[in-house]
Amino acid sequence: MQTTYLQAVGDALREEMRRDEKIVIFGEDVAEFGNIFGLTRGMLEEFGAKRVRNTPISETAIVGTALGASVTGLRPVAELMYADFTMVAFTELFHCVSKWRYMHGPDFRTPLVIRCAMGASNGAGAEHSNCVESLFMHAPGLTIISPSTPYDAKGLLKSAIRSDDPVLFCEHKQLYQTRGEVPEGDYTIPIGVADVKREGKDVTVIAVGLMVRRALEAAETLEKEGIGVEVIDPRTLAPFDKETVFRSLRKTHHAVVVEESTRTGGIGAELAAMLQEELYDELDGPVGRVAALDVPMPYNITLEKTTVPDAGRIAAAVRAQLARN
Amino acid sequence: MSESKEFLTGLYRDLLTVRLFEERQIEIYALGKVPGHIHSGVGEEAPYAGVFATRKEGDYFKITHRPIGAAAILGMPLKTMFAEVMGKETGNARGRGGVLHLADKSKGMIGFSGTLGCDAGVADGAALSIQMAGTDNVVYTFFGDGTANRGPVYEAMNLAAVWQLPVLFVCNNNQFAISTYASWSSRVEHPAADRAAGYGMPSRAVDGTDVLAVYEAAKELVAGIRAGNGPAVLECRTYRWRGHFEGDQMKYRDAAVTEKWTREKDCVANFGRSLVADGVATEEELSAIRASIAAEIDEAVAFAEASPEPKPEEILQGLYVD
Repeated sequence: MQTTYLQAVGDALREEMRRDEKIVIFGEDVAEFGNIFGLTRGMLEEFGAKRVRNTPISETAIVGTALGASVTGLRPVAELMYADFTMVAFTELFHCVSKWRYMHGPDFRTPLVIRCAMGASNGAGAEHSNCVESLFMHAPGLTIISPSTPYDAKGLLKSAIRSDDPVLFCEHKQLYQTRGEVPEGDYTIPIGVADVKREGKDVTVIAVGLMVRRALEAAETLEKEGIGVEVIDPRTLAPFDKETVFRSLRKTHHAVVVEESTRTGGIGAELAAMLQEELYDELDGPVGRVAALDVPMPYNITLEKTTVPDAGRIAAAVRAQLARN
Repeated sequence: MSESKEFLTGLYRDLLTVRLFEERQIEIYALGKVPGHIHSGVGEEAPYAGVFATRKEGDYFKITHRPIGAAAILGMPLKTMFAEVMGKETGNARGRGGVLHLADKSKGMIGFSGTLGCDAGVADGAALSIQMAGTDNVVYTFFGDGTANRGPVYEAMNLAAVWQLPVLFVCNNNQFAISTYASWSSRVEHPAADRAAGYGMPSRAVDGTDVLAVYEAAKELVAGIRAGNGPAVLECRTYRWRGHFEGDQMKYRDAAVTEKWTREKDCVANFGRSLVADGVATEEELSAIRASIAAEIDEAVAFAEASPEPKPEEILQGLYVD
């Protein structure tokens, strides 16, 4: 069945809420309005006002409430609208949510999911376009999921909801209306398992979120030039599936990391460091990085396009990687 | 006094248990047996003892860094408490959390944060669980006058009021945020109680050194919460006897004022005297209570000292659910 990414996320929520009455959802404008993207539309009517709740504009309270509810037996799925707003509740996520179990002991379980919509989306500007995975990769204890297809989004959200650990679930705004095959009925995708989106023999491209699609576009172009690109989508940034990446690199010996967040201190920085530490002998060159420019996301569309990597930049980075041989 | 002897002597035991725990904490800290910093709550026992006297099975509790001895009132074993304070494997978080994270989930404690106030919403979440279950239970959540100025506290109060959650917000106003006077950092006399009306909540402000005054005010507010009327605020005025941390020279305040508070407003001594004066208990009975608590604390400290250190090779245990 072909579905949009938005529909897949919504279906995962609905199906899980039907399965487990401990699941509650809350956030800004999620009830009558059905979330600003229409993702939770109809859920208030189906599940009632006790389980589908609006909140005031109070991100710290949203995250704190999710934590307290999870500690006491509920399985909350809270929404922060834009991923940028995770920063409003950064302390609550970084200090409280990710550390609560470690700080208080093994009797504590925090089965909660924080959902947010991230990424550049045509002029959303500096405060509504951020990708935040790398910020939270610095928070041990937190599971970070960033799906790129409807199939992954649905299966991973179900796993996130069923997990007893806290999950930050990042949905990309530009992917909401993309379509893909999603099977009928219940299925889950395990957390911490990467997916090889395209096989190739020459270069391994590790891409996240929207960048997976752009990496696949670049791979099409490069194929015509005789360059085989293997595209790996980690899907889960933490915990990170090293083995799938290592297996690919033992074949290609070249790595390029593609992300939408700013370059400095980003996902690429971490993966490049990790790969040179753990797989140095397999690498035929330095790990390439393609990322957003180190600039607040500009409002102007041309400047925005200049900031965020596209297929052309990814292809150029791959060619440069091979040219080092 | 209209309450039973059993209730009143129990209250005295709660007050004194926290007092002796806090005093022992200072001693073991001075001996170098505590890895981090402690925040002694000597003199601030009554808000916890008085408020917790209104609790019942199924309620939830979020305490603060001062006094952490309050966990003992809820039934958390003293052994576990001292072990966690000393960073030992037998502590509730196996020595990984420390003085700011004493918690016993089996007693309804939901944990608390050392970044004061950022955990305010956690109380709302526990209250959401209660509201979903449809019981008349309550979440008791504590914070200080300093934390009363933090945004997350306001967000949590407002959301609790909007959702009509069963939360009693208790401000232990000990008049100091490290060196900053509560009277300076807020333009209202009661930084928590006076602001409650802004969220549509009832509130009371009481003498936090009078355990029965605290109890009576809490009882009234908790009755409203259990009846389904939504959250409320109780502010208890105390005085921080010691420094924010041990070693704080307290040059920012008048030692004569401190001396007067400790002499005249000692919540444990005053309550003990009133029990004797009213014929509720004898000096001997109160001494026996003191001796039994002291013995328990001796045993708990010995247990904690003899407990093993956490193993470095197990450092990641507890981070994720296995």
